[in-house]
Amino acid sequence: MKKLSISFLGRDCPGAVSTVSQILGQSGCNIVEVTQTILAGEFAAIFIVQAPDTLEQEELRRLLLTGLEAAGQDLSVLVRPAVEGQWGTGLVCEPFVVTADGPDHTGQIAAMSRIFAQHSINIESLKAILGEGGPNHALFVFEVMVPEDVDLGRLRRELMVEGKKHDLRVSVQHRDIFEAVHRVASF
Amino acid sequence: MLSEREVTSTLNMLRNEHLDVRTVTLGVSLFDCVSHDLQLFTDNVRAKIRRYAAQLVSVCDEVGDKYGIPVVNKRISVSPIAVVGAPFGPDGMVRVCRALDEAAKEAGVDFLGGFSALVEKGFAKGDRALIEALPEALASTDRICSSINVASSRSGINMDAVALMGRQILKVAEATRDRGGLGCAKLVVFANIPQDVPFMAGAYLGVGEPDVVINVGVSGPGVVKKAIDRALETGRNNRGQPMTLLDVAEVIKRTAYKVTRVGEMIGTEVAHRLGLPFGVADLSLAPTPAVGDSVGEIFQSVGLSSIGAPGTTAVLAMLNDAVKKGGAFASSSVGGLSGAFIPVSEDSSIEAAATSGLLSLEKLEAMTSVCSVGLDMIAIPGDTPASSISGIIADEMAIGMINHKTTAVRVIPVPGKGVGEEVSFGGLLGKAAIIPVPRGDASGFINLGGRIPAPIHSLKN
Repeated sequence: MKKLSISFLGRDCPGAVSTVSQILGQSGCNIVEVTQTILAGEFAAIFIVQAPDTLEQEELRRLLLTGLEAAGQDLSVLVRPAVEGQWGTGLVCEPFVVTADGPDHTGQIAAMSRIFAQHSINIESLKAILGEGGPNHALFVFEVMVPEDVDLGRLRRELMVEGKKHDLRVSVQHRDIFEAVHRVASF
Repeated sequence: MLSEREVTSTLNMLRNEHLDVRTVTLGVSLFDCVSHDLQLFTDNVRAKIRRYAAQLVSVCDEVGDKYGIPVVNKRISVSPIAVVGAPFGPDGMVRVCRALDEAAKEAGVDFLGGFSALVEKGFAKGDRALIEALPEALASTDRICSSINVASSRSGINMDAVALMGRQILKVAEATRDRGGLGCAKLVVFANIPQDVPFMAGAYLGVGEPDVVINVGVSGPGVVKKAIDRALETGRNNRGQPMTLLDVAEVIKRTAYKVTRVGEMIGTEVAHRLGLPFGVADLSLAPTPAVGDSVGEIFQSVGLSSIGAPGTTAVLAMLNDAVKKGGAFASSSVGGLSGAFIPVSEDSSIEAAATSGLLSLEKLEAMTSVCSVGLDMIAIPGDTPASSISGIIADEMAIGMINHKTTAVRVIPVPGKGVGEEVSFGGLLGKAAIIPVPRGDASGFINLGGRIPAPIHSLKN
């Protein structure tokens, strides 16, 4: 068996996951991990599957496209080998939440994420919440993993300076505080 | 992954609702510093405080930065000085107080509490010396707070101490006349004083406490007010039914839970980094003079025209109880006072109600039967007789003794000023108009002295 990563992108409608998972099953693929999201009516999903060694990537893609078309599902499909391991394995990181908010402009996410990249900080989740604090107000929420050797004070200063250039108010907080305040967890 | 609501509501609590950790208080036992030699004692005290407090401020700032929650004040509480400094006379007590003041300044903390005596059943030699030293000690230091426990539900009320404190409060005010009687803002008379309270001016480290410990005081009246406002704005509870007071109490309870969790998290991390045990999280709705950081404004949110209007005591009872319930669920280490403070000069809304006459000393006294402390930061005329101050203390102590709760009196007889005039203490202590004290003469009662015996329900064993 080999591990494949299959991505889907297209217009959201009921039945997409059903069609995809049926085709995968018929092709002898076992789904080992899956995630999906919907943004502004667009459906995106990533499936990690164990596929038979005899099943070629292109053949699986063709089967999926044909099946989706027959079911009336308008989805793009990308199939590629799943890479073993992931970024940060062996690195000691702390989870932080960086928020930046202000009047919406182009270039704001690029500016903030450039700082993260410079410090080798991985963004694990990024959300843009528009219009909550006013008609042109944007709030960006970056959930990031900060390696332990990053100088937190320096990172905060750089983010603040960069944020200010783009009319953004920036806060940097350890993720635990959000969970502590809002979630009741057993030990 | 965090939800949108989890992120935005936490941000709002910090940015718009004044959520903060009001104080991280380092408790330091001074029992191992005792000596009959004053110089040796103060040297030992300075050395021990220096040893444990050196990193306190920087660690609090680092942890505050990490979580994005400011630790506004860093403070120290010590063992009751009347006990550990028992061999010394009044002059020696003043020197001890000055040494503590220097230690506080060296550590960079804004207050050090524990210049205290526990006299609910009688005076020991050190107690008398400390109480006698109060005027000079508080006038010649900047950061020292004093508390005198004169009553308890187990022991009754030491009326000799009540009488003495009436006189000493006037002397402390006179000794700090040039600062509007500021010394009295750092002096509290208690019934049932908790041993672990991190808030000033009542913080001290009880005799049953660990050698060194971190206690945390969390505030957040603004967070509670905004949560109530949001809930009432929708007009309906989460089941779609019209909001009632039961739902308001639930909102307060849940908000108190959130705020206490913040305090416990910061406190335990500070304690861990300093290599010290964590003691308690005290969630007290402690206002500051800033608008939006007021306990008084909560009363308006719940539908009263102002704090002081009929219904005030009932609202305060609900508020105080719901805060305790939320806090108790959030942490197994809830302690201190945990509830709602009603310090007049420190709360712009309470101060405005007192100034306009909507809130009298009598109403405040009624409120103290259901709040977490007592008559707090109340400016009274400078010519108030000592026996009247003692009478006010006795009434307040009786409420605490009978109801098995902490009560306290922190009144400031402002020298040279009368009813309606204003006094400003600056900073967190705020400003207040002087309000009248009840008329009538208590001197015959106060002069009888002795002790009001413990109530029948003290016999529990």
